Amino acid sequence: MIADPLEAEDDAPRQRFILDDTGFDEVPAKYRRFYRKWRGAGDSLAPNEVICPVCSVVIRSSRELRPGDRVYCMPCMSRLVVVRAASGRLEAHVAY
Amino acid sequence: MTSPSHAHDPHRLEPEAFLEEVHSFEFWFQAVSGYLTGRPYGHAAQAANEAALDPRARERLLTVLANYCVGETAALEGASGLIGFAPNRQAKIFLSTQVVDEGRHLEVLLHRMRELGVADAEAEVERRANHTLVLFKRRLLELVASKDWEAAIFAQNVILEAMEFVVFQTHARRADPVTREILEGIVSDERRHIGFGENELGRRLKQSPHVRPRLAEVRRELDPLVLASFEETLAEVEVPRSERPELGRNYLAAVARLGFE
Repeated sequence: MIADPLEAEDDAPRQRFILDDTGFDEVPAKYRRFYRKWRGAGDSLAPNEVICPVCSVVIRSSRELRPGDRVYCMPCMSRLVVVRAASGRLEAHVAY
Repeated sequence: MTSPSHAHDPHRLEPEAFLEEVHSFEFWFQAVSGYLTGRPYGHAAQAANEAALDPRARERLLTVLANYCVGETAALEGASGLIGFAPNRQAKIFLSTQVVDEGRHLEVLLHRMRELGVADAEAEVERRANHTLVLFKRRLLELVASKDWEAAIFAQNVILEAMEFVVFQTHARRADPVTREILEGIVSDERRHIGFGENELGRRLKQSPHVRPRLAEVRRELDPLVLASFEETLAEVEVPRSERPELGRNYLAAVARLGFE
């Protein structure tokens, strides 16, 4: 993890998530549960999920995400860093 | 069915290991096996049993498919030319997978035209090709021939692929079941292509910011060509004008992330 201490929100234990296969089939089978498709209006993100800004796939982690966390979007090969947007929502920004 | 939470967790990979994995031929092969197996020519739906399109809708669809073929041929020829001067092994191997993807796209789109009753699909592509898209193709291949890595990747994997990605998704939502399935398979491939382009250029621009003005010039020249041809496509697939700015926004967001306003 490349969490920036200045951005870390707190040291409280993180919620853990068991990831089920959601039918996402665009990466090798062993990675599929870490991604899912955005289902459009009516869909929402869990605390362990962010949307890839490059290809719009939902990236999933086995733990609650916090600002500074590094995640990868395998479907579009992007390296991303989680940030807290002005709206208060977690977003992923591309790290070239 | 669930697995231990850390097993094969991609987010635990070191950055270099991640790049090695996703650029590999093995990654590509396992990925496409997931969504292409059991779908000859890109679809499992039975074209023979589909309800006939009304003549006007068929005409429009053929024009759109023909122009998709022009774009895919541009990317096929462009990606294959790029391999020769790609800066490293990962990029060469990735581009070899993109060449296979683009070849498949061209084949399934021509096949779809034949399913719709076209006897000579390639002649039909020639006949219906949009002039601005043909100009774009010519210019892209000139950039490849001049071995201008950054400009060619920008033209092909950012400008062309980003617009195709949005147009194919939009068209798929409105298309007949067979065309929809074909387009969805293509969109799954395009995710890799746009991601490769943006990330490769992002890294390049970080290391060599002096190339930015040159790329801005390429964008000024090529943007209008691709935008005009896809504007025409969106009209053919009857996307309401009110939805078209949204499509533009998606493309602009990609170039804005690279620092082009």
